[in-house]
Amino acid sequence: MVRAALASTRRIGKGPYAFATFVPATTVVMASLLAALPIVATSGWYPDFGFLVFISWRLLRSDPWPAWWAAALGFVNDLFTGYPLGFSIALWSATMLALDLIDRRTMWRDYWIEWVLAAVLLAIDNWLQWRLAAIVGARVPITMMVPPLAISIFVFPVSAWLVSRIDAWRLGR
Amino acid sequence: MATARPGWSRRAQYGLFFSFLAVIAGIIVGLFLLVLSLVAPASFNGVRGAALDVTGPIASALHEVTATATGLVSGASDYWDAVSQNGELKRDNRAMLRRMVEARAIIQENRQLKAALQLREQTHDAIAAGRIVGSSFNSPRRFAILSAGTSDGVRVGMPVRSADGLVGRIIDAGSLASRVLLVSDRANIVPARLLRGGIAVIAQGRGDGTIDVRPLEVGRNPFRRGDIIITSGTGGLYPPLVPIARIVKLDDDGAVAIPLADPANTSFAIVEPVFEPAAADQSPAQEATP
Repeated sequence: MVRAALASTRRIGKGPYAFATFVPATTVVMASLLAALPIVATSGWYPDFGFLVFISWRLLRSDPWPAWWAAALGFVNDLFTGYPLGFSIALWSATMLALDLIDRRTMWRDYWIEWVLAAVLLAIDNWLQWRLAAIVGARVPITMMVPPLAISIFVFPVSAWLVSRIDAWRLGR
Repeated sequence: MATARPGWSRRAQYGLFFSFLAVIAGIIVGLFLLVLSLVAPASFNGVRGAALDVTGPIASALHEVTATATGLVSGASDYWDAVSQNGELKRDNRAMLRRMVEARAIIQENRQLKAALQLREQTHDAIAAGRIVGSSFNSPRRFAILSAGTSDGVRVGMPVRSADGLVGRIIDAGSLASRVLLVSDRANIVPARLLRGGIAVIAQGRGDGTIDVRPLEVGRNPFRRGDIIITSGTGGLYPPLVPIARIVKLDDDGAVAIPLADPANTSFAIVEPVFEPAAADQSPAQEATP
């Protein structure tokens, strides 16, 4: 027992990488850039990858990036995905604020609470997109937003797992 | 900014406070830009075009890879049943030849009739040709990325078509790539008519790859399954006689149709000039762009 506990796989002298501070934001930008993939879909059932990775990082850690970076990351997401400019800037900043307030209130955190929080945030994201589309003249039935919401809720665990792996890698663990 | 109070350090307390202010400022700036892009969609054309120039070439390059891969697969399957395909093609060819003779006769007759009416024919040459290299795949809107931009002469508002039918119209133009509002988008309303009988109808996208078709005159449902919808040229934005969609399902006062030009399988899309240039300035659909 004791020997097994002592035989750590960690190598001595291996710490966080020099660029570790910028890894989370870079992965969010890369997720936004998935919009450049040559996928020609006739139904919008793919998840909002940028937002998914964004909340995965924020739910994993409270300090993946300085709070004001959310606006800049949202700006990049708006440009690449073709959302009305300002949508992700406002939503992502509001998400940072809301999750900080929630962090004060919650007594404990476990995986189920994080999944529920993510589901609520993704539902808000989808609902706002539907609302904005209606404002600019593209009013579709709200039932059309259910499949993409369900898909993104079930993709969240994958995204959270990937993000936790990347987090361990950048910190040299 | 995780904990309520970061300790007794004044510096840490101020840091927390200012980061809250920064987030609130971010929300306000975001909302301001959002309202601006809703009420004045043209205000961010430059920056949106620049972003398209970044992602467009990436999508084009990746598209070549996927197109080659799918081409190899379908090429192999073509060899698989070459004999039956050969017979089928010969039958099709004979039928086509008969149709072509009929069509030639009709064209000749049409030319004579037009000459008799002294109709002034405006010829519209294609402005640019590009590939559909990507699409919006995570929102209720239906956009596609076209690999042709302002350097090819593409401007916002121009109609886009392929050999099969109408694809949509340009709403954002970068210098290398542009964004197309597909006919299946809810905000894209196309004045159209039935090929059989010429009844005036309105085609509006449903946001899920299909199109809603409604007759202009309320009354009997004029549609039948398999009917073809073509553009009427009313409004002056889209050229007339471009096929749009085929009807697949009837509902109580209209029908659901599937676009003939499937953006996923369109090899080349052609950008045409606005049919009546005067219409471009006051098109109601222009307001619908994000």
